[in-house]
Parts: sequence; C-alpha cells; structure tokens
Amino acid sequence: MFDFDVLLPDTLSILSAVPLTLALAATIFVLSTIIGSLFAFIEQRRVPVLRQGVVAYKVVFKGVPMVIVIFLAYYGVPPALQFLTTLFGLEYNAHSLPNWILLVIALTACVSAFQAEIVKGALNSFDRGQADAAYSLGYTGGQMFRRILFPQVILAAIPDLANSVMVIMKALSLGFAIEVIDIFAQAQLTAALNYYYLEAFVVAVVIYMVIAYLVTFSADRAEKALRLRM
Amino acid sequence: MLELRDIRLSYGNSQILKGVNLSVSRGDVVSIIGPSGTGKTTLLKCINYLARPSSGTIALDQIRMDYRRADKPTVQAIRLRTAMVFQQFNVFKNMSVIQNVMDPLIVVQRKSKEEARQIAVQELERVGLSDKLDMYPSQLSGGQLQRTGIARALAVRPDVMLFDEPTSSLDPELVGEVLKVINDVAASGMTSLLVTHEMQFAKKISNRIVFMDQGVVAAEGSPDEVFDTPSNPRLAQFLKSEVAFQ
Repeated sequence: MFDFDVLLPDTLSILSAVPLTLALAATIFVLSTIIGSLFAFIEQRRVPVLRQGVVAYKVVFKGVPMVIVIFLAYYGVPPALQFLTTLFGLEYNAHSLPNWILLVIALTACVSAFQAEIVKGALNSFDRGQADAAYSLGYTGGQMFRRILFPQVILAAIPDLANSVMVIMKALSLGFAIEVIDIFAQAQLTAALNYYYLEAFVVAVVIYMVIAYLVTFSADRAEKALRLRM
Repeated sequence: MLELRDIRLSYGNSQILKGVNLSVSRGDVVSIIGPSGTGKTTLLKCINYLARPSSGTIALDQIRMDYRRADKPTVQAIRLRTAMVFQQFNVFKNMSVIQNVMDPLIVVQRKSKEEARQIAVQELERVGLSDKLDMYPSQLSGGQLQRTGIARALAVRPDVMLFDEPTSSLDPELVGEVLKVINDVAASGMTSLLVTHEMQFAKKISNRIVFMDQGVVAAEGSPDEVFDTPSNPRLAQFLKSEVAFQ
C-alpha cells in the first residue's frame, strides 16, 4: 500500500525540479503578459490590419491544444531558425537549441492569447471619464497612463493574472513530452526508479498545492494593499 | 474673453452642432439650457477639445484656434486656462480626495508637493471637504465626489470654469450642497459656463442664459428676458415642460 518511508527521499528528489519549474513559469508569465498587453492595446486602439491579426491569433492559440503547439515548436522552430541563420550567413546550429527554450516559446505563444483577454477586460473596466478629466486638466497621454490608467488596470487584472500563473505552472507538465523536467516530470522519473508511483504523485500534488497557495495568497495581499489606496 | 464662432460638429451622419456662436465676457456666469440631445454638453467639450468640431474658431483672450487646423500646443494652452466639472464627477479612483486635487498641480503645473498640498487644502476647505482629505472615492457620496471635482478644477486657477450638468447624476438630497458650492464660485467672480437642467438655479446665479435647440443657439438673453418673457416659441414650450416636470 502506501509507503511513508519513501516520502522524504521522494520529496527531496522532486523538489529539485521546483527552481526550474518556477523560473520557466515566471519567464513565460512575464513574456506572455507583455505580448498579451500589446495585443490588448492593438484591439483597444483599433489599429487597422494588426487588429484583425490579433483576433485571428487569439482564435488559433486559444483553440489549439497546448501540447500540439509544443510539438509544433519542437519540430518546427529549429528548422525555421536554421533556415533564417543560413539565409543571413550566421554560424549557428539551430538544432542545438535547448528544449526548455522551445517550451517557453510554445507556452508563451499560447498563454499570450489568454493574457490578451485579461488585459482587455481590465482596460474595459477603466472608466474613460477619468481620462477626459485628466486631458481637460492638461495631462499628456503618457501622464494619464502612468498616473491614472495603469494603476487601476493592474489592480483590476491581479486576480486573473494570478490565475494565469497557475495555468502556466500546470501547462509546464506538458513539457515532459519534449523532455523538459518540471515537477510532474520529476515525480514520474523518481517513481520510475523505485516503483512508488502513488507516493511520488502525492508529493507532487502537495508541492503544486503549496505553490498555488503562495501565489493566491500573495496576489490577494497585493490586491488588498493596492485596493486600500483606492 | 471667450468667443466661439460657427462651431460645427457631427458624429457620423448626425449633425450635433450646426454653427454655434457664443461669447462670454470676463466675470460672466452663463447658463446653457435646452432639451436633451441638443448639443449643450458637446459644445462645452469643444472648448477644451474633448469634443472635436469639424469647423469653427475659438478665441480665449489672446489664444486663437481654427478647429480645422487644431494643434497640440494651442489645445494645451486652452486646457491650462479652463477647468471642467463633469456630470459623472470623473474623480481619479486610485487617488484620495487631496491627491485628486494635488496631482494636476504636481504633474501638469510642476508645483512642489508642499505648495500643491497647501492649495489643495485651501480649495477643499472652500468646498467643505476638510474632514475628507484622505478618503478615497469609493468611500464618498455623489455630492462629495462632485465637490472634489470642483475643488480639483478650482485648484488649477482657471480663467474659465466649465460646469457640465454638475448635479444631473446626483440623488435629489445631495443636489443642494453642490449648488451651494457652485453658487459661491459664481459669486466670487469666476467666469463660468454652466450646462444645467436646474432652471431656478440658473435663473438665480446667471447673468445670461443661452437656450440651445437642435444644434444651434435658439435664444439668449438675461435671465428675466429668457424665463419671464420668452420670445422664441420653442423656448416657451421647453420652459413649460420643465416647469410642469418640476
């Protein structure tokens, strides 16, 4: 049945994958939030052509399973990159690109589509009358953005952004398909060595829960602190 | 002092302003009345270019601009000398009452924090909000929000105050406190333009009334002329319906 003796060694083994998992999640979160915000601004400003591009992009990347995008990146990005480097006469073996970079590219591509919706929603919640008031008082567009719009939009987006962090954390387990070892993959590997599968996955669950709790907790704290000043 | 000539503006196919003329002298308190949807608010917003006319000219003392060739520096010069109070208050929700008043002084007028605070405290006292300095908009009533908006506008020391239906979205019991503040502002000699549906109030504080109807100024004159002996039939009809409504 359940063997408590392997829990400690298993935990130590699986914990070794936590730093990489968190680093990958943070990278994907930052990149996808930047790209998603860009998309949201393009839609909000109704930039011609680009706007249709963003809408099409969102349909594709919200609809296609992430694991397929990961495989597409795995098989598609290196040859494409090799083609470009050869075209520009650069000495670089694109096939030596580490898999974790391909995973970051694939997941960033997918999550950006969702981040775009989050930022768009937060932007829509902003009461434009305040912008009118700012402009009537002589604020420039940049001053209005920094002083009034940004602080309110970021606050409105915090709960959904915290959600995204967890979505990314979980999506990283798909990286096992291209041999990127995150928490889930490490649990799999650890169990494969001693055949205590149930124990390894229970440990993984606990680790995921702790991370989820910490993310939610700090997001709530941040939101409350900002809300107090609003 | 303020002169608008032949202001025209359309949204899509509907013409909102069809050649409006308006002139205001220093110290004037001018109320703009008229049925809903006749362009009163739009006209007011043309002054600080929140609404963009397709043609017409504006002159604010030495500053002159043809709306067909509107340029940023001139728009900014006009905005720095006018201040608007909005129907929906439009106070900055991420700032406390005093920050709302200080921020334009610091950001736009580049005043020091101390000086900005001093002015803000003074203006907020004038509108009766001395005990609410550190409150946030979500904690305030509509009347308090609007008085914050008025203090913010006064603090930039404008030459002209633009009041856009300042009491229209207030609960009836809160209208009085805001009207009292506006009355004080008007009485202090501040040149003011007021779009309003408060006929009695307009009659009391204004030295001129402008009646707008279907995108043009249909009648204007002293409060007595406009309210007691309306010559324009549409004006007479409008006043009747307003009185019946009240």
